[in-house]
Amino acid sequence: MANRFGLPNLGIGLGLRTVHYSTIVESQPSVDWFEIISDNYVQTVGRPLDFLEAIAATYPIVMHGVSLSIGSTDPLDEEYLRELGALRDRVGALWVSDHLCWTGVAGRNAHDLLPMPYTEEALRHVIGRVRQVQDFLGAPLVLENPSTYVEFAGASMREWEFLGRLAEDADCALLLDVNNVYVSAKNHGFDPLTYLEAVPFDRVVQFHVAGHTDHGTHIIDSHIGPVVDPVWRLLAIAHERAQGASVLLEWDAEIPSFEVTHAEALRAREFIGAGP
Amino acid sequence: MNRELTADAIGAHERASATPVRRDPVPTAKARRARAALPEQAGLRSQQEIFCAAVMTPEDEPELLDEASAARLVTPGGTLSALERLAIYRTAYHARLIECLSDDYPVLKHALGAAEFEALCRGYVAQHPSTGPSLNDFGRHMADFCRTSLTGVAGFASDLAQLEWAIVLTIHAPTAPELATEELATIPAERWPEVCLVANPSLRILHFAYPVNAYFQASRSGEAPSIPSEATTSVAVYRTGRSIWRLPLTAAMVVLFESLANGTALGPSLALLEPLLANDPEAAPRVMAWFRQGVSSGLFSGIVAA
Repeated sequence: MANRFGLPNLGIGLGLRTVHYSTIVESQPSVDWFEIISDNYVQTVGRPLDFLEAIAATYPIVMHGVSLSIGSTDPLDEEYLRELGALRDRVGALWVSDHLCWTGVAGRNAHDLLPMPYTEEALRHVIGRVRQVQDFLGAPLVLENPSTYVEFAGASMREWEFLGRLAEDADCALLLDVNNVYVSAKNHGFDPLTYLEAVPFDRVVQFHVAGHTDHGTHIIDSHIGPVVDPVWRLLAIAHERAQGASVLLEWDAEIPSFEVTHAEALRAREFIGAGP
Repeated sequence: MNRELTADAIGAHERASATPVRRDPVPTAKARRARAALPEQAGLRSQQEIFCAAVMTPEDEPELLDEASAARLVTPGGTLSALERLAIYRTAYHARLIECLSDDYPVLKHALGAAEFEALCRGYVAQHPSTGPSLNDFGRHMADFCRTSLTGVAGFASDLAQLEWAIVLTIHAPTAPELATEELATIPAERWPEVCLVANPSLRILHFAYPVNAYFQASRSGEAPSIPSEATTSVAVYRTGRSIWRLPLTAAMVVLFESLANGTALGPSLALLEPLLANDPEAAPRVMAWFRQGVSSGLFSGIVAA
């Protein structure tokens, strides 16, 4: 079951981070692909783009954003969408992803992946906006399941139902973050396998794995440290169900050397086989 | 005149989809009673407005919601109350923006000390909340904010913030080719007075009441400089390729380079220096040395076509 969008399985990639720019440009390590945080390369015409263009000349690039705010009740930011489209064309990014979340309202931006209330009203709202974005970009939008720390009191469905119905009705692609599934499962007391049962895997074009911080009472999706084995095992199950898709490690705090980060990403091979 | 390289990692805040972790959460007061309430049959808009307001409530103020009203918005969990769950987002919101300002202003943070800098940032976040999708320009008000909100070191801190913000702007300014000295050499000597140069688009010439560039350099070199006394200074901040430079300038250099950067031809620009260097017999060769060094340092990116 290859994904229905015809998007390639790029293998095992890394989130591109500033601290690794020089190593990558100078030593051109063997990495299958890089994912960029789109927002680090919009509203700039300077050095970040300089590095990105040098790296994009050698490696496949995928864009991952944190500011689309697909679930917000504020209007979509068309200028931001234009910038995303221009950046995609500039570096030849293979797809554009963001999160099932909202980042602000009434003109204020929290710069956080705020959770959606999983209601029929919210579902209709997000479906309409995903269609708008896809029309704008002329390509499928890839949406990621977020880590969440609350559930809304008025929710009428669980996240996996919301995500599945959204993907089908808006005809969008999915980025399944198995660490986020694990984090939310612990925070809300559900079985992560129940979540995976509901995922339409023919829409999954990419996986994320990452480290997290366990506070005992709750888990924070901190992207610190290595990936724990239960998350790798979720990846193994999900990757098999999707019959393969691109895998990416996110490491965003206390980032170690490029070599250590890459070695951690390549641990995915132990769980999914040798690559695409 | 020696330019100083600014380390690559400075002034480049990087977004991520991670949730920041605070190792020392700020104790916050419970609301005696809720200062906002979710309406009956609240729709998506109302839910988002009240969620956002709760998250953005400054951490040194009481929470916006009490436990009962929070539980009408989000459910309590097995280990955390509704308010405690909301507080995760409130903590992350403030931590992320303070982290962004820390990345933009590492030397200001060092100068003020972590606690005073964080207090400054909390005030900043409350007064200048982000309204756009990018955090690249979030810290743009810091120099003014230091001037109006600090006491004692306001002038120094404001100058230092202005220098650090110029570095951020330089990072995001367009990349331009450097003017090669060989290109200048092709111009016949008699035409030099008419030559106009194109300034490097990242170039910013800054003027300070305090010697903040020297402070910056000492701090980045691992020294522990004291907050200096007032002394008028100027510095050029600019980027060549991927490297960011700070070039200390004398008053006469400022006159020359500001004039050239504004598009004035070399002849009239040099004439501006005459009153400043009238009693200096070595002025002419020294000025030409500045000019050559300014060019070779990358202050200019081309020659305006005749």
